[in-house]
Amino acid sequence: MTDDGPARIEVRNLQKRFGTVEALSDVNLELRDNEILGLVGDNGAGKSTLIRTLVGLHQPDEGEILIDGKPVTIDGPKHARKLGIGTVYQDLALVDQLSVAENMFLGRNPVKKLGGILPVIDTERMQEEAERILSERLDIHLDPETPVEYLSGGERQAIAIGRALVSDPDIVFLDEPTSALSKAAVDHVERLVEELQNTGHTIVIIDHNLEEVLSMTDRIAVLFQGRVVDVVDSDEVTRDAIVAMMVSGQPMGATESVGESDSASSPTA
Amino acid sequence: MSTISSLRSSVDDLREADRTRMMLFALDNLIWPILLVTFVLFSLLLPEIFTQYRNIRFLLYTSAGLGAITLAEGICLISGNFDLSVGSVAGFSAMAAALFLTEWFPGMPGVAGIAVLLLVGGSIGLLNGVSIAKFGVNPFLQTLSTLIIFEGGILVLSTQSVYGLPASYLWIGGEDIDLPLFRPIPLAIFAMFALFLGMWFILTKTRFGRAVYAVGGDEDSAAEAGIDTNRVVILTFVISGVLSAIGGLLLTGFNGGATPTLGTSQLFPAFTAAVIGGISLFGGRGNVLNSLGGVLLLGTIGAGLVMLNIDPQIIQTVNGIVLFAAILLYTFVQRYRERLLSDL
Ligand SMILES: Nc1ncnc2c1ncn2[C@@H]1O[C@H](COP(=O)(O)OP(=O)(O)OP(=O)(O)O)[C@@H](O)[C@H]1O
Ligand SMILES: [Mg+2]
Repeated sequence: MTDDGPARIEVRNLQKRFGTVEALSDVNLELRDNEILGLVGDNGAGKSTLIRTLVGLHQPDEGEILIDGKPVTIDGPKHARKLGIGTVYQDLALVDQLSVAENMFLGRNPVKKLGGILPVIDTERMQEEAERILSERLDIHLDPETPVEYLSGGERQAIAIGRALVSDPDIVFLDEPTSALSKAAVDHVERLVEELQNTGHTIVIIDHNLEEVLSMTDRIAVLFQGRVVDVVDSDEVTRDAIVAMMVSGQPMGATESVGESDSASSPTA
Repeated sequence: MSTISSLRSSVDDLREADRTRMMLFALDNLIWPILLVTFVLFSLLLPEIFTQYRNIRFLLYTSAGLGAITLAEGICLISGNFDLSVGSVAGFSAMAAALFLTEWFPGMPGVAGIAVLLLVGGSIGLLNGVSIAKFGVNPFLQTLSTLIIFEGGILVLSTQSVYGLPASYLWIGGEDIDLPLFRPIPLAIFAMFALFLGMWFILTKTRFGRAVYAVGGDEDSAAEAGIDTNRVVILTFVISGVLSAIGGLLLTGFNGGATPTLGTSQLFPAFTAAVIGGISLFGGRGNVLNSLGGVLLLGTIGAGLVMLNIDPQIIQTVNGIVLFAAILLYTFVQRYRERLLSDL
């Protein structure tokens, strides 16, 4: 059942509270090497909180995170990046006033030494790289000097995705990466995710479009009110079964046994 | 046919986008034409006198201290913060350094006084930065309290002006530099230009500088991108404190000594200059070089009104009106920008 070797990332008994809201409670989850794991759940189920905890934006109240079997404390996104994690945040994390290239390299601008001593941003290299990543990986052609406030929602999302790839990560977290994209652009992202898997990456993707999730992922973890309801293989599950888990908070076997009462209550949910 | 028309419309789009950008560029740098017009206006009202060497020298010289303090305010505004204490930091650090050189350790060289001055300014900035970044104190309240504390602190140190400072300490703010083929020019003017260029360089060319814009533009995004936002905010306030102290040094040189009220009246003009130079109160936007334009505009108006024999009391009112006009203008520009952007 489990693959050989430790999971790329494992969380044990992870708990995160915001005041009285239990955003994550006793979450246990494994991210296997080179898999694509989908995270689904209703609004507020804790998907983004899980991702944000895994990149150190939140510190867990309890529980631990293991990377390749070793317990780690992740201090923040920069540390996560050093551990080989690239992230597309749900809010995209772009700064409107800054350019495409500056946003893609935010917090990690390449520098050169002016006169051999003074470290300044290597703008040319940054812009070339930004342009290259956007066109090679996402087939989108933008002037890297344009401030992102001039761009459309889809273009902004592409930049956020491009940024996650800048550091050449092994693990990629995508929190609703396609919500603002056209059908064609979604297809493109799907191909990108596939290509990332083929080149050895491990991926977590959050997406409210269950068809997309079912077609893209290897496994799907269903969250409900901060708990992991179940983790299922994508080709052994139907869309309806996932929806049932998302609204009832009961794992797959259990939903069938309470099927009658559940289907009666779900329209009101 | 449809391909041709779509091609044509995309070419039109491109031109449209370029026009929009040029328009926004012009709006962002509006301070320079305004300065030019103001200068020409006073030159016409005061023919021959206004463009004299003596007047231009005076105008630039009186701007130097304010220039440094405007930079101190400007960098805080760009980082999305606020610093009410710039004037009192200038006054307090200048007074502390003056007493250090004359009473506490007389006989020390001027450069030791400058070190003390920078240390005092930087430390107050550190205090502001740590409170705001680490303890989450509201920047308005934090710097209001440092404003009050150190304004009072100046009088605790001395209620009288301190003169008799070493020449090497007064040199940068008070001496002229002899130029070949031209009349002597106060060193403070060069210092002011150097500070603006230096800060422009730091803010536009270095990682730290871009991080200041990122934090000011969207602090959460900056944090998500892996920027240590606390460090950026603390460092911003330290730099602000140091720049305020340099303002105090330049004003001390200009006055020939440290006066208890030297920095007190600087906060509002510094704020005004930064804002009319186009630095956004909402953070993340603005060019410090344009705030030099703001400083020079205030200097030009001040000098012009003095030479027109207008009651000096009125100057402050005029500055207020200029600020009001600038705020109206930039609010309009911001709306216009949003409209242009939504059209793209
Ligand atoms: N920084 C925060 N402070 C307080 N509460 C928070 C914070 N972040 C998340 N929460 C709360 O934690 C819960 C989980 O939120 P989270 O953003 O993880 O949900 P989600 O599954 O990503 O939802 P969505 O599909 O809407 O993005 C919600 O109740 C939310 O209000
Ligand atoms: Mg979310």
